Amino acid sequence: MWSYDKRLQYPVKIKNPNPQIAKIVLTQLGGPDGELGASMRYLNQRYAMPYKECKGILTDIGTEELAHMEMIAAIIYQLTRNLTPEQIKEGGFDTYFVDHTTGIYPQFASGTPWSAMTIQSKGDPITDLFEDLAADAASV
Amino acid sequence: MNEREKLLSRVQMYDFALIEAIEYLDGHPNNAAALAYYSKMRTAFDQAAAEYEDRFGPLTAREVDTRGGHWTWIDDPWPWEGAED
Repeated sequence: MWSYDKRLQYPVKIKNPNPQIAKIVLTQLGGPDGELGASMRYLNQRYAMPYKECKGILTDIGTEELAHMEMIAAIIYQLTRNLTPEQIKEGGFDTYFVDHTTGIYPQFASGTPWSAMTIQSKGDPITDLFEDLAADAASV
Repeated sequence: MNEREKLLSRVQMYDFALIEAIEYLDGHPNNAAALAYYSKMRTAFDQAAAEYEDRFGPLTAREVDTRGGHWTWIDDPWPWEGAED
């Protein structure tokens, strides 16, 4: 099970909205190598892991990725606060806004919704760890 | 940075050290230096969290002080609200 701490892992405090940046940062939330995918990858792969050290690491890192997801969502939320119709249009945020307004929706920067097709879980720990390496190398 | 943010940043700093220690210990469960570091960071975290909660409300729903007759867990600001709190 999980419990929630009512705080971010690191403070997010953004004064000026910026829909252009928000549109790009979105992919770190719900993109192919984003935090949602990282969390789902580790937390679902851990059941196939036979070694206690790695069961611990997959559990604790998968949990930390959820905290990362919350920070990224906070960044997008604050970057899109109090936008004027002009800012939405000029910032190229209109294509997102028409579907979600300023709601936080996990998607790629290109607009494709987050998909479990971006992660893998093969029931084989070595195969899964190689997949983790590929995914994390992409996000560094 | 106001007083709430200052206390919260101490909580965040010690917890970050704690998380790193936890993940290292998962892979190195008998490392004496890491065990000592974990213990030290946990004490510092517990103190910082208690100090924050005394003044600014609960960090978890299991730490709510109900003596005031009000469910303070839901009180603003929530973590993502940042600058406008």
